[in-house]
Amino acid sequence: MKIKYITLIFFSLTVFSGTIYEFTNDEDEKRFNDLIKDIRCPKCTFGSLSSSNAPVSEDLKLKIAEMVRENKTDNEIKNYVASRFGKESLYEPELSKGTYLLWFSPFVILLLALSIFIFRKKY
Amino acid sequence: MKILLKLLIISLPISFLFMFFVLLNEDKQIPGADYREFDLPIFNLEDLDSKRVIKNTDIKGASIINIWASWCITCQIEHPYLMSLNKRGIPVIGINYKDDRDDAINWLSKFGNPYQLIIHDYKGSLALDMGVTGAPETFLVNNGRIVAHYQGEINESIWNKVFAPIIEEQGLFK
Repeated sequence: MKIKYITLIFFSLTVFSGTIYEFTNDEDEKRFNDLIKDIRCPKCTFGSLSSSNAPVSEDLKLKIAEMVRENKTDNEIKNYVASRFGKESLYEPELSKGTYLLWFSPFVILLLALSIFIFRKKY
Repeated sequence: MKILLKLLIISLPISFLFMFFVLLNEDKQIPGADYREFDLPIFNLEDLDSKRVIKNTDIKGASIINIWASWCITCQIEHPYLMSLNKRGIPVIGINYKDDRDDAINWLSKFGNPYQLIIHDYKGSLALDMGVTGAPETFLVNNGRIVAHYQGEINESIWNKVFAPIIEEQGLFK
């Protein structure tokens, strides 16, 4: 009986179901792996593409792999994703007028806090 | 210094109140609706009967594009509403998403066909280019440009909230 179960595991679909992304060189593969860690899964906003096996993520990863093989730059690939699935699909938001508050408010708050601290010491 | 501290103590609760009652109460945005405009992607796909090839230039004027599949349960629920849109004379174009051709044809003969044109997107390549994450999803197109996108089941109330304002603004379907 045990042997039956073990052979079942060998022939089960799940073992072979992982999608394989083929690249001609290691550099492309590394670039691909870095990119999918930087891009959010469109269906499950809490995880990255690399952590997701939702159908749409699989499609998107295949598309990104294709674009990497075509030597598209990281920026081109990220723009492609952001234009389809929104700016929120990039983990690192771009620096633009709409995101100044996001990027600089921590420093402003820090400065304010520091100035209050220094100001208080004088008295 | 004491004034500053007092100000801080007063301003903190006020800003919290502001956040809870003003910022969190804004319900202008409808979850699932997206108004980013973009051009209809270039595509070249067969129709469901595999009789002809449909190109992006074949979609003219104003129409509704609906992503559906026979495996999609929610599509069955929104189906009667699409039928009623078709009856009202609004052109509805279907994108059959990652579906088996025969299953899709059977599904339509069972529930009725509200679509003027059905694009068979077996690999989901066109849908990916349109930013689709699943089925059902619905787009409003005006002269080759997507002007509204809704993720999920559409019905009368969604139509009135998401699509009707844009249709009125741009004077579509007249």
